[in-house]
Amino acid sequence: MKIKHLILLVLLLIISCNNETEDDYINLPIKLEVPSNFPPLAYNLANNPPTEKGFELGKKLFYEGRLSSDGIVSCGFCHEQSSAFTHHGHTFSHGVDNNIGTRNAPPIQNMAFQTTFMWDGTAQNLDLQPIIPFTSPIEMNGDFSNALAMMAADPVYVKLFKQAFADGKINSENMLKALGQFQALMISSNSRFDKYRRNEAGGTLTQEELDGYSIFNQKCASCHATDIFTDNSFRNNGLSINPNINDIGRYRFTQLEQDKYKFKVPSLRNIEKTAPYMHDGRLFTLDAVLDHYSNGVVNSVTLDPILNNNGTLGIPLTNAEKTKIIAFLYTLTDNQYLTDKRFSEY
Amino acid sequence: MKFQLKKITAVMAMALALVVTSCSKDDPADETPTGTGTLKLEFDNVYGSADFAFGTNYTNSHGEVITPSSIKYIVSNVVLTKADGSTFTYPKSDSYFIVDEATATSQIISLPNIPAGDYKTVKFGIGVDQAQWALGATGQGNFLTAAQTAGMMWSWTAGYKFLAFEGTFTSATVTTAAQYKIHTGQTGTDYNYSDVTLALPANALVRTTITPQIHILTDLKKIMDGTHKVSLSTAATIMGGSQLAQITTNFPSMFSVAHVHND
Repeated sequence: MKIKHLILLVLLLIISCNNETEDDYINLPIKLEVPSNFPPLAYNLANNPPTEKGFELGKKLFYEGRLSSDGIVSCGFCHEQSSAFTHHGHTFSHGVDNNIGTRNAPPIQNMAFQTTFMWDGTAQNLDLQPIIPFTSPIEMNGDFSNALAMMAADPVYVKLFKQAFADGKINSENMLKALGQFQALMISSNSRFDKYRRNEAGGTLTQEELDGYSIFNQKCASCHATDIFTDNSFRNNGLSINPNINDIGRYRFTQLEQDKYKFKVPSLRNIEKTAPYMHDGRLFTLDAVLDHYSNGVVNSVTLDPILNNNGTLGIPLTNAEKTKIIAFLYTLTDNQYLTDKRFSEY
Repeated sequence: MKFQLKKITAVMAMALALVVTSCSKDDPADETPTGTGTLKLEFDNVYGSADFAFGTNYTNSHGEVITPSSIKYIVSNVVLTKADGSTFTYPKSDSYFIVDEATATSQIISLPNIPAGDYKTVKFGIGVDQAQWALGATGQGNFLTAAQTAGMMWSWTAGYKFLAFEGTFTSATVTTAAQYKIHTGQTGTDYNYSDVTLALPANALVRTTITPQIHILTDLKKIMDGTHKVSLSTAATIMGGSQLAQITTNFPSMFSVAHVHND
């Protein structure tokens, strides 16, 4: 055999034996930076270290309508970025087949710093939380088996799963971990308030806003604590019972009498954008919220003790104080988060 | 003389050889088996002292007549103990199974790659353990999918049903057949996972050439009539609350070993 042919053969062998294709696992870690003004991370990064491809897969899943039984309702359908991932203007959301729920879609932001998920805390692990809306018959009505088959038949997903996970498998574990990586990295920490807290440029608060922050710390921060603005607890904040729904809140999970009508203290970040408010979206404005706390608290067996001062219900607030608090709450709007292309659908 | 000596030596050598070789022949008690084999766990549902079948009327300790239509439970975390006391823990992420009375193949769990040896105890869990739950999605492989398909996912808690027992019943106060559903799993107050340890009446001999099968009896009567006794007339849908923890205490005594096949 001529040398030329031999060389060609060898070259061909080298090329064909080269196993590196663009379908291989790509280990490009994404470092999750904890903002200096935040409480410690609650999410266990070691179990699910974020990578670029894991994040990319997670985002694709977040906006994937085909996960639902009608091919339309994705996570992003009820969790819209411009509204801090709430369902803009909706008290309740409509899922597949126009099914309506009984609770307001909460924002998705800083979930890696929280320990319980859903209004009644029925999920305690961020990676498993998506199971609830995904499989709920009134939300996405999804089936893991069908979803995984859909993805196994889609070359884009096949490639992404291989790039995102060393075992490359399209299974429920990897699907949930990808979503977990995406959600864990959705951090809102660059509002004007944050910059003020970290002494960064653009972090100037007006006197009114500073006064509002001061009043907030005295009258609201016991429940809406830390720079995440929640203490992750479940409380009855004195909302009257809606007889049509009679939502007993956390009781459903614990079946403890003391948990009736208690709901998770929500984070107040981006509150300017997340109306309507409360677990059932019954209050449309922040004025209505503060009016509720000053005048609208209803007593009950499980009313949070903080809202009952020897018979005086609620939180005393003057109109001037309310104006200042609302001015302060607007400083929690994080436009960078609301427009961050990394989390965007398009 | 010389010849005789040679003969004697030869005979003695042969005898010695015989003795040596016969002493080194397979004596199961002395030789350590090598390699791996498969062990099977058969879960055979019974009710009291009778075989279990759907559509049969059974009476519980409250005098309620139940007619079961579905029984499924998750078996997990198999740990085998050898005669010498050492243990083998089946690889965790492969050790989750759903036993379903309606699916014959699910009732025999086949565990390959078990180190050869004589096993005297089998331990398993009912449900998905708390350590796995704390890991979230990690390590679950595709078990969530299998669970959802089998109707053993608890969508509302982003978790699993550990045991699901359903059917209809009548009683002195419930005269028209009504549905009952008992679903156990993690609640807001209790985790509700249980461990079951069973000593084998005869060792299970795992060899490269022997696949033992442990025939386990699951006495479903104990679900409602263990140390805790369920009254369906009081509440026929039991899917949460403190009663789940009480029912879970009934589980370990549900299981016994009928016999071990070694072939």
